[in-house]
This record gives sequence, structure tokens and C-alpha cells, in this order.
Amino acid sequence: MGTVSSALGRRSVRIALAVLAAVVLLAAPLLLPAFANQTLVRIGVYAVAVLGLNIVMGYTGQVNLGQIFFVGLGAYVTAYGVNQGWNIVVVFIAACVSAGVVGLLVALAAARLGGLAIAMVTIALPIVGVPLAKRLDEFTGGSQGISARFSDAPEWSGLYNDQWQFYIVLVVTAAAFLLARSLVRGKYGRAFAVVKENEAVAASMGISPYRTKVLAFTIASIFGGASGFLYLAAVQYTSPETLSFGHSISLLAAMVIGGAGSIAGSLLGGAYYIFVPQITNAIDPNLTTLSQGAILLAVLFLLPGGLVSLPRALRRLGRRRSGRPTSGNPPKTAPAPHPVPEAALEGPDNKERQDRP
Amino acid sequence: MGTFIQLVVDGLSTGSIYAALALAIVLVNQATGLINFAQGGMAVLSAYIAYAFLGLGVPLPLAILVAVVASFLLGALAERFLVRRFERGDPDTAVVVTIGLLTLVTGISALLWGYNNLGFPSLFPLTSVEILGAVVSVRSLATTVTIVLIMVVLQLLFLRTKLGLALRAVADNPGSAAFSGLPVGRLLMVGWGLAATLGAIAGVLVAPQLTLTPGMLDTALVYALAAVILGGLSSPIGCVVAASAIGVLENLVAVYVPLIGHDLKIAVPFVLIFVILILRPQGLFGRKVVVRV
Repeated sequence: MGTVSSALGRRSVRIALAVLAAVVLLAAPLLLPAFANQTLVRIGVYAVAVLGLNIVMGYTGQVNLGQIFFVGLGAYVTAYGVNQGWNIVVVFIAACVSAGVVGLLVALAAARLGGLAIAMVTIALPIVGVPLAKRLDEFTGGSQGISARFSDAPEWSGLYNDQWQFYIVLVVTAAAFLLARSLVRGKYGRAFAVVKENEAVAASMGISPYRTKVLAFTIASIFGGASGFLYLAAVQYTSPETLSFGHSISLLAAMVIGGAGSIAGSLLGGAYYIFVPQITNAIDPNLTTLSQGAILLAVLFLLPGGLVSLPRALRRLGRRRSGRPTSGNPPKTAPAPHPVPEAALEGPDNKERQDRP
Repeated sequence: MGTFIQLVVDGLSTGSIYAALALAIVLVNQATGLINFAQGGMAVLSAYIAYAFLGLGVPLPLAILVAVVASFLLGALAERFLVRRFERGDPDTAVVVTIGLLTLVTGISALLWGYNNLGFPSLFPLTSVEILGAVVSVRSLATTVTIVLIMVVLQLLFLRTKLGLALRAVADNPGSAAFSGLPVGRLLMVGWGLAATLGAIAGVLVAPQLTLTPGMLDTALVYALAAVILGGLSSPIGCVVAASAIGVLENLVAVYVPLIGHDLKIAVPFVLIFVILILRPQGLFGRKVVVRV
């Protein structure tokens, strides 16, 4: 195990792995069947939305229940722009900017109240968004929805539509992930982490918690808008159903299950978002919501770091098992990173509260 | 004028439903410092339980009573086995737990009863009476009166009984409460149970109007949260006032402002919130939050 991780740490090996991953991703759509391509495309679409959610929630610690609203907004702006015949780059920028501006306005008001107010305000976004989308039928096509085709493969490329869409989504998703990675590793990422840990400490270090939260929320909204653009590239149609309340909750569940505060976890979250409902719908559609709630709670209890922390948890489990070869029954569950003290069972006594005068 | 009075009375009735949910949220927040996003979902499950007992031939008042008792137990169990582990930790994780609980409870309702709308009989007659020349539905009046009565009973419980004193002690300072020999864990369960009971009553009162679906109270939860923000987390009275005001205002706006209408009336409390958050961030009646390092 040690030799593997030290080899992974070497720069040349890392570059070689990145090149290999790029080659695989570039070649994949040419070799895979259309259905697999479509599935991968959708994973990319939602991975970008989950990534945005991760920036505001996983890294900055602000619960956001309205991310799907920005996905829907981006999708509607894209559909409108395409149908007006705008250049596709302009459409993409419009989708991101409009989501960003709305996100900024929401955050400016919501971040003024501390604590969980952002969660309480953002839960309204999808609930207001659906009737709003139905009302503005001049732009959105009302309940019928609106379709826009711009992602069909052009003649000269000689590709099928699903392959062309794969490349569109790959380019935007890869750019989004690289941007997010630099963001959370740099100055702003450190500011996010401090605000998440303790706002008073952040303020004493000259980092305004208010501005940091607004910034994180706005960036998350921009990612949401980009995801909406990709959604339209993949599905070529959007309706008020796209931004329903249930989807917003699923997006948050996907983020936590993939791994909060992890870039790779966002990709896993996108995969979860696509695969698990597909599987449970095949068994029984009435089971989908229940299984999602059960999986979310199970992850919170057993694997607080999300699926992305599974290898680490298994390794720790393995080490514990090999460390004590004589003990007959190894622990069945992954140990939590922060063991809960015994006293916790008797109820809280010194937690931070919303209303302490 | 007649329409106006009718709208106000109907608004007060829906407002009282929001108020009950908002109070349940404040009750949980006072006891455990959390926002329980599952409060609406739990109330829907309670209404389904009443529905199931109705199906067995149990009379309506008894079915509601069974559902109320069951929700008290469910609320207490949810606190003990799901939420307790996260109460001391990161509040954001605890919120995600309540969202998981919301999904789980909605999922249970969906699995057992499906997504089709189910009719639920009204506890009150569907007739209307004339007051000051306005036609007012008995159901709206009776719903408001019931919720107000329950709030009075709850207030008496908190201010006049030993249990209420203990609950307030735990909410105020769990550490000192434990030192003076109070069973803090059990009292937290009671707090969650009472909140679930309040939600259950709101659920069965509003079910005839909305018809039962697993997502029946999602919108009501959003209104209740809006009332909690406007009224301030630390002020039960503020929440009730805010919830009633929201109920009346949205009804009036839906009819008298055609630009908004019935479909967009849910935007009303949030426009209000935006204005108030800019002017008075601690809510209308709340105290300013000071966090110690």
C-alpha cells in the first residue's frame, strides 16, 4: 500500500495518469454504445450541479436547498437563446451570468441572517420557481415546456449526436472541475474553510463571513447555470418539472452521498443521481424516495465523508483487522472520523445555538 | 366587502395551519437548536395514519386521536434514534439529517399509499354562515379556533406545569438542567414528540382541503419557514403573528393583484422576507443573535 501511494505522489506518474484519463475520456464515446454515452452525458450534467452545491455547502458550510432552481434557470435561458438564434457561446455565457446574478441577489438577502437562514430561504426557490416557469409561458412554454436543438452533431464531424453531446459535456464539465479544484485549493478555498469552521475566527482574520458566503453561493449558482446549459445540450428539452422540489432534495442527497467537501465526490454524486433512481424505478417507482432517504441517512451514520471516503474507511478497517489478528470479530461498520463521546447519548449541553441572547 | 371578510377568514384559517407548523419548528429549535425540515413530512405521515384507521372503520375523531398519539411516539423515536447523534455536532450535518428524515418519511407514505390524491373527510361541516353580510365557511372558522385552542393549551403546558418548566429548563441550558437532575435526553424526546403532535393536528385539519399526497405539506412547510424567519426563531408569538399575516396577505394579494394571482402567491412571503432581511435581519420579533467564540 505504501509503495503505491508514494508512486502516486510522484509528479511524472500523476501527469501520466491524467493523460491516460484524458485519452480514455476522449476515446470512450467512439467505442461505447449510444445508451452508455447518454448515461455518461447525464452524469456530467449533474456532476457540475453537484459540484456547485459542494462549493457552497461542502466547502463553505451553507446548506442550499435551491440549487436545482439555477439548473432550471440555466436550461430555460439556454432554450430561449437558442430559439432566438443567438451564438452558442453567447447562450452559454447568458445561462451562467443569469444564474449568477439571481444567485447573487438571493445570497445578498439570505446571508444576512446567520445560521440556517440560507437553507430556509433557498428551500423556497424550487417551490416558487415551478409556478413562475408556468406563468412566464412566453419565454418558457408554460407547463408544456420548451425544446431547443443545438447539440446535434454537425455534418463535418462525422459523429453521431450522442458522441457530439458527449464532447460538449466533457469540455464544459472538465473545465468546471479544473476551475473548482483551483478555487478550493487557493485563497478563496481557505476563506471558505475558515467561514465553515468558525465565522467569528474568520472575521478576526479579516475575512468577511457575509461576503464569503455570498461569493460561494454566487459561484454555486453559476455552476448551476452551466449545468442547466449542459442539461439542454443532453436532453434538448426542459419543463417546470426540471426544477421541482424533489429534484432539489435529490441533488443535495447526491452531494452528501458522493462526498461533501470533495471534488471527486461531486462526480460520484452525479453518478449516484443518475444510477440509483434508474435502478429503484426499475424495481418499483414508489420505492425511489424511500430508498433515497434510507441511503442518505445510512451514509450520514456510517460514512460521513460520503462514498469518496469509502477506500480510506476500508483501508482503516483492514489495518485494524490486521493489527489485531487474534480478535475473532472485526467491526462491521466503518469507524466515524470523529468518534462520538459517551456523554453525547445523554443529550447536548454546549452546542452552538440559534437564539442565545 | 363581503369578499374581503371571506378572504380574511380563509386566510386566517390557512395561516393557522402555517402557524402550527411554524410553532412545531420553533419548539424543536428551542429544544435542540435544529431546524427540522421533516416537520411537514412527518405531519403528512400522521394524516395517512389517520386515513388508514378510517379505512378500518374507526370513527374520524378517534382515528385522529390515534394518529396524534402515534405521531408523538414517532417524533420521540426520531429524536432518539436519528437526530440525537448529530445534535452536538455540526448544525449543517444535523440539517441534512432532517432532510434525510423528510425524504424517508415521504418515501414511506409514498410506498404505503402511493402518489395518487386520496380524499380525507373533514372534521367540521362544510356549510357556511353569514357574518356581517359575508359568507364564511364553518371549516375555516373552526380550523382557526381549534389551532388557537391548542396553542393556548400548549402555552399553559409550558408555563403552568412541571413538565413545561423542565422542558424550558432544557431548552435554556441543557448542561445546567442535567446537573439539577433532569432527564435531558427524555425531555428532548418529549419536545420532539410535542412538535410532531402539533404537526399532526395541522396535517389532519388541512388534509380535507388539500387531499392527501406524500408532498401535501411541502408548500406549507415553506410558508411555515417563511413565518419562522419573519417572526424570529426565538419568538413563538412572533411566528404565529407572522404566519397569520402571511395567510391573510397572500389570500388578498392573490385576488386583488392580478399580476400575482393564485399561482404565484407563494412568492408573497418571500418578497416580504427580502425586504425585511434588508431592514431588520433578526426578524420582526426576534432578538439579535450573538455568537460567542
